Formats: sequence, C-alpha cells, structure tokens
Amino acid sequence: MASVLDVPETPEDQGREPSPYDESEMHQSFHLLIQEQSQGAAEEGLELQPQAPGAGAAGASAGNQQALLGPEGATAHSMATLRILASMPSRTIGRSRGAIISQYYSRTVRLRRRASRPQLRGLGRSARPSLRLYDLELDSTALAEEEKRVLLVKELQGLPVAQRDHVLRGMPLSLAEKRCLREEMRSPSRRPRGRPGLLGCCSRLRYACALASHDLGLGLLSGLQALVPWHYALKRIGGQFGSSVLSYFLFLKTLLAFNALLLLPLLAFLVGVQTAFPPAPQGPVPTFTGLELLTGGGRFTDTVMYYGYYSNATLNQPCADPPDGGQCTPEAASLPYNMPLAYLFTIGAAFFITCFTLVYSMSHSFGESYRVGSALGAHAITVFCSWDHKVTQKRASRLQCDNIRTQLKELLAEWQLRRGHRSACGRLRRAAVLALVWLLCLGITLGCTVAVYTFSEHMIESPVPADREGALLALPLVVCLLNLGAPYLYRGLAALERHDSPVLEVYVAVCRNLILKMVTLGILCYHWLGRRVAALQDQCWENFVGQELYRLMVLDFIFTLLDTLCGELVWRLISERRLGWGKPEFDIARNVLELIYGQTLTWLGVLFSPLLPAVQIIKLLLLFYVKKASLLANCQAPRRPWLASHMRTVFISLLCFPCFLGAAIFLCYAVWQVKPSSLCGPFRSLDSMYEAGKVWVRRLERAGPQVSWLPWVHRYLVENTFPVYLLSALLLAVIYLNIQVVKGQRKVIRLLKEQISNEGEDKIFLINKLHSVYERKERSGAGRTQEGAAPPARPADHRAA
Amino acid sequence: MGQCLRYQIHWEDLEEYQALTFLTRNEILCIHDTFLKLCPPGKYYKEATLTTDQVSSLPALRANPFRDRICKVFSHNDVFSFEDVLGMASVFSEQACPSLKIEYAFRIYDFNENGFIDEEDLQRIVLRLLNSDDVSEDLLTDLTSHVLNESDLDNDNMLSFSEFEHAMNKAPDFMNSFRIHFWGC
Repeated sequence: MASVLDVPETPEDQGREPSPYDESEMHQSFHLLIQEQSQGAAEEGLELQPQAPGAGAAGASAGNQQALLGPEGATAHSMATLRILASMPSRTIGRSRGAIISQYYSRTVRLRRRASRPQLRGLGRSARPSLRLYDLELDSTALAEEEKRVLLVKELQGLPVAQRDHVLRGMPLSLAEKRCLREEMRSPSRRPRGRPGLLGCCSRLRYACALASHDLGLGLLSGLQALVPWHYALKRIGGQFGSSVLSYFLFLKTLLAFNALLLLPLLAFLVGVQTAFPPAPQGPVPTFTGLELLTGGGRFTDTVMYYGYYSNATLNQPCADPPDGGQCTPEAASLPYNMPLAYLFTIGAAFFITCFTLVYSMSHSFGESYRVGSALGAHAITVFCSWDHKVTQKRASRLQCDNIRTQLKELLAEWQLRRGHRSACGRLRRAAVLALVWLLCLGITLGCTVAVYTFSEHMIESPVPADREGALLALPLVVCLLNLGAPYLYRGLAALERHDSPVLEVYVAVCRNLILKMVTLGILCYHWLGRRVAALQDQCWENFVGQELYRLMVLDFIFTLLDTLCGELVWRLISERRLGWGKPEFDIARNVLELIYGQTLTWLGVLFSPLLPAVQIIKLLLLFYVKKASLLANCQAPRRPWLASHMRTVFISLLCFPCFLGAAIFLCYAVWQVKPSSLCGPFRSLDSMYEAGKVWVRRLERAGPQVSWLPWVHRYLVENTFPVYLLSALLLAVIYLNIQVVKGQRKVIRLLKEQISNEGEDKIFLINKLHSVYERKERSGAGRTQEGAAPPARPADHRAA
Repeated sequence: MGQCLRYQIHWEDLEEYQALTFLTRNEILCIHDTFLKLCPPGKYYKEATLTTDQVSSLPALRANPFRDRICKVFSHNDVFSFEDVLGMASVFSEQACPSLKIEYAFRIYDFNENGFIDEEDLQRIVLRLLNSDDVSEDLLTDLTSHVLNESDLDNDNMLSFSEFEHAMNKAPDFMNSFRIHFWGC
C-alpha cells in the first residue's frame, strides 16, 4: 500500500527536497532500518527501565521528543540513534582494516560464548561495533562475521611472520583471542605444544636443552637489566617528579653519549699514539701540588692533556727517510704515523660526527614533537594528556592534581585574555614596560661583557708570574660569578613584566640567560685568539688557552655544586622552617642552561686540549649523582607547564644552534686564520694549522698519477669558492620547497575541516528529518491501532526513534 | 604468600607472549612474579584470576585516578586472568604503537560507554583529573566547551573516535604520558 507522506515544507527545505516519490522511497528504507533497531532497543529499554538509567538515557529520551533543528541546539540522541551513528561507515574510516575485521571477530566470539538469552548485567549500552552485543536471532549478519574472521586468518597467513606478529600485536583484542588466532594460523599438520611424548628424538633433545638453559637464561636476563645505567634511578625520578624533571636527567645522559662519541676517536688516534711515542722532555718536571686540579697548569702542562705535548713529526718513521726535527728509532719501523695530519683530521672528523649526530637527533625530535596545524596550548591536549600515568606515589599524584588545576586555570585565563579586548592605552603601556625590561636586561648583559673585557685586558697588561699560578683563576672566577648573579637579576626584572602565558615567560628567561652566556664566551674567544696570541708570541699560547678552558670548566662545576648547595639545600631549610613555604622547585631551565654552557666549553677547548671531553664526562657523572640526591632530598616538581616532548626538542636545538655552531666557527677560525706558536705542538713550523693538510696534498700531487683525484678534489672543490655557493643555493631551495609544502598542507587541512563541519550539519539535518517523519508515522499508526487490538505496554517516555 | 612455584611459565608460552605483546621477556616474567604473589596459593597461573580490587591496589595503579576505568576496560567479567594483566601491561608499555594506545584511551575515557566522549564524559574526566568534587560549574562548562570547540570537527557536541584520534595524533605528549610501568623489578 503506497502511502503518500504529507511533509510540510519548512523554510530551509526550499529547493533542496527531492520529489515526493523519491522522498517516500528514501524514507521507506531508512524507516525500516530504524524500526528494526528501535524494536530491539524497545525491548532493551523495557528491561533497562528498572535499572536506574541515570541521567543519560532519560535525558536523551526526553530530549529527543522535540525535533531539534539546527546544529546549535543541544542535540541529545537516543541510544538507538547513537548506535546507528556509531556504525556509520565514517566512524570506521581511518582504522586499519585488521582492526575493523577484528572488531567483527570479537563480536563473533561474544556471540558464540553466549548460550542463551543475554543477562541484563552483561548487556552493555555501548554502540561501538566491537562492544555491541547482539542477540543471535536478531542479528542476520552473524554468518558474514564468521566469514570475515576466516578472511582475517587467511589474510594474516599471507603475511610474513614478523609482519604477522606485528599486526597481531597492534590489534585491540584481548590476549586470549590473539592466541586463538595465532593457533589457527599455524598449519594443521603441526603438532600442538605441550605433548613431549609425541615428539621425535631430536625435538625431545632440543626441548630438554631449552628447559635446561631456561633458568640460566632467565637469571641472565634479570641480571642484564641491572646493568643498564641508571635505569632504576630514572624510573624513580619519573615516578616521583613527572616527565619534565625526568627530561633534564635524560638530557644529561644524552650529553654523556655525545662526549663519549667525541672522546673515542681522540683517544684512539691522538692520545694513545702519542703516549706510545713520548717526545723528549722539555725541561725539569714540576712537582705535583694540589693546585693543578684547579688551574690545569704545573704538572699537567707538559702532558698528553694539552696541545703542546704533541709532536710535529711523523712518528715511527724508518730511519732511511730522515724526518725533519723528529727522532729516529733504530728498530724496524711498522706504520709511519704523521702526527700533524692525524691531529687535524681527527679533530675535524670528531666534530663532523658530532655535528651529524646533533642535526639528526634534532630533526628526529622535531619531527616527533611538532605537527602541521597544531595549535599551541590546545585544550583537548591538556585534558587528555595532562595526567602522567607514570606517577605512582600518592603525594606526587596529589601534586599533579594541583598542577593540573593551576594549569587549567591559567589556560582558561589565557583564552579569556586572548578573547578580551584591551584598550590601546593598556597595550601601549604593556609594550613600554616590555621594552624597558628588555633594555635593562640587555644593559646588564652589556655591563657584564664590559666587565669581563676590562678584566681580561687588565690580565694581559699585568701578566702573572710563573710562581703565582693561583692568580690565573681570577678571570674564570669573575666570569662564573657574573654567570651566577645575572640570572637572579633577570628574574627580579621579569617580575615587572606580566606575560599572558607562563610558557612564554620561561622561554624569555632562557633566551636572556643564553644571550648573556654566549656574549661572555664570545668576548673570551676574542680575548684568546685576538689578544693572547699576540701577547704570548714567545710561549705556547695554545697550552694557555687549553688551560684557561680547563679552569673555566672546573670553576663552573664548583659553582654549580655551590649553587645546588645554597640554592636548594639551604633554601629548603630556610623556607620550610622559617617561611613555611614548602620545598623549592627544581628549576629546569637554569639547570639545562648550565649543562649546555659546560658542553660549549668542552667543544671550544677540544682543539687545544684533547682530553677535555674526559674531564667533561667525569664532571657529568658527578653532577648526575649530586643533582639526583639534591632533587630527592630538597626539591619538588615545578609548577610551570612544560611540555616534555617540546622540551627535548628545545634543549637539543639550543645545543645545536648557538652552541655547537659557535664552537665550530671558533674552531674554523683557529684552524684557518691563526698562526700556531712556533715552540710547541704539531703545527709549529707552519703558517696555519690547515697548512698541514695542504702540504700533504702537495706531496700527494708529486707522488704520482694514481692518487691524482685527491689533489684535484682539493683544488677544485675545497679551495674553490664556487661549490660553497652552489651548496648554499641548493640548501635554500630545499628550505623554500619545504616551506611551500607546509603552507599547502595547512590550506588543505583548513578545507577538510570545513568539509567535515558541513557534513556534520548535513547529518544533523537528516536525523532530525527522519525523527520528525517517524514521529508522524507513529502517531498516525498509534491512532489506527488504538481502535484495534490492545497496544503493547509501552512507557510514555520511551522515545520515538 | 606464593606457595605457587616460581616461574611456572613455560619457555614456549613466554615466547608466545613476547611475540603477541609489546613486552620484553623480562617484563613478562616480572609480571608473572607479581601475579603469583597475589593469586591464591596452589593454583596454576593460567587458571588463577585476580579481582578488580586486587589489580587496583597494585603500586602502579594505586595513585591513578582512572584506575576503575582501566580495570573495567581490561577485565573480562570483572576478573583479571594472567593474560588480561599482560594485555593491560602491553598497552601501557613504552613500545606500544600509538594506534593501540589511542584505541584503549578512548575506551577508558568513555565513561558511559556509548561509543562517544560527550560532555558528561569530559566533565567526569576533569573531575577525576582534579580529584575533587569541589569544582566550580563555570570551570567545567568552560573547559568542556573549549575542548569541544577545538576537537569536535562535525559539531555534534561529542567526540567520536576519529576526532579523538586526530587530536591525540597532534599531541606528541600523549605517548609519553600514557605509560605505566607495571613490573616492580
């Protein structure tokens, strides 16, 4: 019986409705679908009623009585509608095919397990396919699911074993179901496990051996875990203080790895070889006093620790070819070892490896932590990611709650501020305050720089006599004091300006401290390479520079220890007992900057003191234990919202860009432009350190045509400036291309978002239309049946689907 | 106390568990140890079950505000078998793939289990995060409206799985924070 539906025209329907005939057909098919769903849901609803449905069902059912139009109305859908929505194809788009099939499979498992009618307790109100429970009789698609499971098994069998395991691991199924799948995938001819009586002789032997090594292997495994350095310490720190403090210690571990990477080639090719062939001693060896550990001079001067010790000749050369100025050992020579060349190339190779590793790890962590189109401080991220599940202690957990509360409040305030309009006067005032504070901070930096400069000039003008080596500590002391005091001044000034977001405050503080440290180091580099070289023409200036850097490192370490002692221990005692403020916070930014500063000093000094990375390694090891002890005893987790993933990127980028780049520039300048001293070191007879390489290339040219490609490469690619321009142009082109690609991706994302929101509006429109049509049908149907048989007992609020 | 044997587990079972989960063999053994300590004595580990309360009182979950949801999602009929515990540890391990973590995070955060994270779910999440019932209504409604503004792409006032997945893929911190160390060794 064809029924003509009388659909009144509503204003938004103008021009969009199909003809009534088409519309009735469409309504018919959806109608059947909804009826089917609603029947099943009707029975459920009847049974669920005594179960205290709570706000969800009642509210939804009540709310759905009215046909809500427009997307801005609070669309509360009934359970049946939600089920339909959740099973729409778009809900499963984006999941892997295996996941979709596996959802059907888990449904099948539940179907098979249920022998009779489902219990009320087991009936979930969920709508997702994997959690949906259907009755066997109602569900006509049961057979299709079994087929799908077989399909799944077949598909998995077709994959290679490693990939199969990988797919199985990633499936959101319970482990028992995965094991069943794996069982089925094995070929049926294979015997089941656990029946050794049926195994053959070899298999039994193998089984016995496996069992015997079983316990041994298990014991070894647990022993190996203990060998991973600081594994438990880091876990404890993460559990007690969270991910942001943990990132500082992980960064320390990364720096240790970098230093070890730097030290290995130096040990192998420079220190080891020179120790095996020691040069003749220059004069009487001074006695060891304790001051050497601080100043790096005295007993340490003429050792393998500094540049001056290294010979400038070819070691281990056969006597038939008399070297210039070197020693001639009478025994049969093996491999001649050109020390100047080795020195230059080893340092260059070590720096190149470090550069490559740094850039790789920076790009890797950048790729992990930044996404195209991701907004800073998005709220969804805070709500879902802010709970660090690693935290296991109750006290730390409570602290996290407080932190999250503060964080959420700050975010909301930031959002309101962004929304709120500020008067032009207020904005001007804020800009003026910002400019003033920045001027003051830059003024402080300038003051510190001038102080360091004048002091260094003073040190040059009044040189320190040889017996008062302790006075050499004056310049490093001044630098360290300024590095310690200026950040506190910056923090005081920063209290004047009030930023919108606390994250910005931290970044600005890091920026200012970094500028101070880099400018101070720049002045010192000028002092060494510009003035000291001139002042120490008749002495070994490279040794002096190496010792200066050693002194800076040691004093920096001592000041860090003092800072930990006073800043954390003493402050905690004062603030807990006297002021009642609680424990001080662990200042991540300042500690990380100290680590970066120490690493810069190492890189600056490696040319003049090849063992400096070893000193840095010892320093980092000691620092780890001291900081860990102080953290556990004295500090609490910081209240500022630091995103742990961004932090690693920021730390590595800071390490790479100002610091490593500066050290590399310093190294290049020292190698190319500065004349090495004529008294000591591997380059004493040359005009620049780089000349050792040039001399070797010339010798290769004369050697013959077999190695002619190397001089050619050297002349046309290294000494020529054209390849540099070409490489720079290529690099710029690649960067431009990437920028354009990112711009295009942003545009596409915006368009797709608009499309999705349009689809959402379409969906709401369709649902409302269906509801209204079905309601009318029901009313007319109910009117008709009321005249006939007694209607089934349906509660009034049992919603219209 | 564990009158059960130490290391009842067979080598082949260990291999299978290691192939099917993201845990290393050592971690599986540590969980096996912890499981045996908690299960009733004399029972074979494959048949023993733990109640939700026992699992909730594990040191790794004791301080977690979502422990009841975690137990609900990973248990079958409100009890944990050994394989259920392994499955839970696997999802929360460091090596687990993001899609698996996002899938289970969605299930955990869907308090009313209707397949969507709606406003009610969001409010309950915020209350759990702040661990107090004394939260102003304004804060709750403001927060939920902001979250939905940013992540709800089709404007139906709920977060479907795709929208949740999209938001979590944009948040690299999610992988870091959705980790629990279950083994005490």
